[in-house]
Amino acid sequence: MKFLALLLISGLAFAGEPEVIARPYDLWDIIYKIWLVITVIIYAVVAIPSLYFMIKYRYKPGEREMGDQEHEGHWGLEALWTIIPLIIVLYLATHGFALFTQMRKPPENAMELKVTAFAWGWIFQYPNGKMVVASAIRDTEDNKCKPEDCYKVDGALQQYVYIPAGVPIKAVLTSQDVIHSFYVQPAGVTQDMVPGRTTYTWFQINKPGEYWIFCREYCGQWHSRMFAKLKVVPKEEFEKWLKGEVADLDHEAKKLEIANIDEKKAQEVVR
Amino acid sequence: MREALPAHKPWFAASLWEWIFTTDHKKIGIMYGVTSTLFFIVAGLMALGMRLELFNPGAQYLKPETYNWFLTVHGAVILLWWAIGVWASFANFLIPLMIGARDVAFPRLNALGYWMFFAASVIALLTFIPGNHIMTMWTGYPPLSTMEGVGFAGTTALFVFIWHLTGFASIAGAVNFITTVISMRQPGIGFFNLNLFIHGIMAANVIQLLGVPSVAGAVTMLFLDTYLKTSFFDPARGGDPILYQNLFWFYSHPAVYVMVLPAFGIISEVVSAFARKPIFGYKSMVVAIWAIALVGFMVWTHHMFVSGIPDWVKILMSYTTLLIAVPTGIKIFNWVATLYKAAIDYKTPMLYALGAILMFLIGGLTGIPLGIPAFDIAVHDSYFVVGHFHYVLGMAVTLSAFAGFFYWWPKVTGKMYPEGLGKLSFWVVLIGSNLLYFPQLVIGLMGMPRRYYDYPPIESWVTLHHLQTYGAFILAFGILLALIALIKGALSGEKAPNNPWMSNSLEWRLPSPPPPHNFDEPPKVEKDYCPHGYCKF
Repeated sequence: MKFLALLLISGLAFAGEPEVIARPYDLWDIIYKIWLVITVIIYAVVAIPSLYFMIKYRYKPGEREMGDQEHEGHWGLEALWTIIPLIIVLYLATHGFALFTQMRKPPENAMELKVTAFAWGWIFQYPNGKMVVASAIRDTEDNKCKPEDCYKVDGALQQYVYIPAGVPIKAVLTSQDVIHSFYVQPAGVTQDMVPGRTTYTWFQINKPGEYWIFCREYCGQWHSRMFAKLKVVPKEEFEKWLKGEVADLDHEAKKLEIANIDEKKAQEVVR
Repeated sequence: MREALPAHKPWFAASLWEWIFTTDHKKIGIMYGVTSTLFFIVAGLMALGMRLELFNPGAQYLKPETYNWFLTVHGAVILLWWAIGVWASFANFLIPLMIGARDVAFPRLNALGYWMFFAASVIALLTFIPGNHIMTMWTGYPPLSTMEGVGFAGTTALFVFIWHLTGFASIAGAVNFITTVISMRQPGIGFFNLNLFIHGIMAANVIQLLGVPSVAGAVTMLFLDTYLKTSFFDPARGGDPILYQNLFWFYSHPAVYVMVLPAFGIISEVVSAFARKPIFGYKSMVVAIWAIALVGFMVWTHHMFVSGIPDWVKILMSYTTLLIAVPTGIKIFNWVATLYKAAIDYKTPMLYALGAILMFLIGGLTGIPLGIPAFDIAVHDSYFVVGHFHYVLGMAVTLSAFAGFFYWWPKVTGKMYPEGLGKLSFWVVLIGSNLLYFPQLVIGLMGMPRRYYDYPPIESWVTLHHLQTYGAFILAFGILLALIALIKGALSGEKAPNNPWMSNSLEWRLPSPPPPHNFDEPPKVEKDYCPHGYCKF
């Protein structure tokens, strides 16, 4: 039951709210829905006749022992199911092309965030030079932990990545060691982070809240714990945080010290 | 007339010596089949281990390095031993029988090919020794695989040798099968009355011949980078890790057609035999197979849509990728049309083949959005991709392989398999696979990245992982039932007639099992010979 409910939510959530939670996810959503409708129709077009034929044309001794030997092709039909799929895929590719062009173009007013990946974490550098480290495990010990502890933000090496709500962010990406990747879950953007190369992606999240960033390119032992927590806050609060007026938007004073230590650690990591 | 051969000794009565030094295509085919199936079982057990680990979030039974090793070996073995290797088994056993030849063109090269494959198997087993684990994933991307210490990639050399040796076996097989089919057909068998299975194998082997050198070069450079410190892929010294990805996928994408085209061939054989009807649109089937093989070489960068390659390349390859859906669609529609006005006999192979068609359709339809960069950008390297290729490989390829096993089992062993158990195994496999692979598509759309040993405790993710693990165990039980049915058939089945399925194809005119030299007299091929009564031009 739970599974069916999930399917309904994930698959057929057409009655979603009109407001855009994240960009360019809104563009992805368009191509996703078009694909889903086409897919369901094609599956039905193939599966329903198949099941009908499978039931109707069963082998029956004495009655139906051989198929129709003359029925071995029909150029009209074969042309039909060459041309119609051809039109569908050309349409999908072209619509995808148009959307992709928009998706890859960061808005003019985008805030630039420099992100450097390492095994296993990221260093985020804001336009004013402020740095945040989101690191998973740095050692190679067998880290058995309770699920809720493995993925928490401890404030020391794993810090919140703050970004302002409703402001487009252009993430400029590179890596220090092996290939990593940068996936912002609500925005639906993935981009590899390749050593020796600079790649970019952009995203904008309108709804304040906590979101995931994951590494999606296999990068060794602790690939699965390479995550960061994105905290989207209203723009004014973000400005305060960026200037260092507030250490942490959770307003916990004790974290101020930790934040200072982190700056040093971040510098060490950057080298 | 030659002297009469000594009383036919069936292949299973051969001594170990005869097995080792044989150049008989049937024995080599069986050796390929046994090796592939054993490795399929090993890779399947490793998958069960991974599913147990993923049942709940958090570290449970396995260390991350063990999980990564399991995943690497699972991927490499399923692709190279099962999805490619098992077709070498079918091709070896069947091609000479289907074209009326006594053996393949180069029997000794054929034996060498198998023993190279065997050597690769030994290397694969070496990776089970502690300290020799490979943890690069089956793709082995640098710089992870070339760097010591960072990220724990394991023993890259073994990864490289596996590719070299299986690649050698593939090329030896490809040269052999292509030559055999071109030059050893009985008069009367031409391009347009060849079995569709042979067309599938031929297209696959042309791909092997053109593609394997590319990946062999890539892994050789990987080896040099790792151990002799060259800098093909080292960005710090002027190399480029993306170069490896291009060379690797130039072969490894067409390789998926090496896996799936023979499967299409088997589906066509089985469907037309049990529908008791010519296959619909034989010519368009042939054209579709070769079109897929050709266009398959022009789509590889869809594996690299987020690697940092220029956007125009992505768009170009997006069009070519989606174009492959057209010939694939033709095949599916033709299979459905074959069922029209048929007399469908629901024996085990037919169930497996029909299951393969309807499940492959899901695999194909979920592949389309992955070829659209605008869609792919959100699901690249996610479980959606995992679900997609498991529908293709875990369902279309595996179900067709089992369809082939059950279909030709009477010919290979001379015994019938137990029908009831065979049918039961199909339904268990079908239910288990769907319970395993469908949630992968859903969880992928929710954002779950692939190759994760652990995942955050998000409630819906946990539920979906539970379902997958249940599905995996049901699937494993189904495969076990299928193997029991096959083995029980071989040991104690009824004696099989020459042509239990009333097929028109040449291999069914031989006794079951076929005598050592196949045809004592060259078989007479009638003027309008058609393997399935499908070619009256």
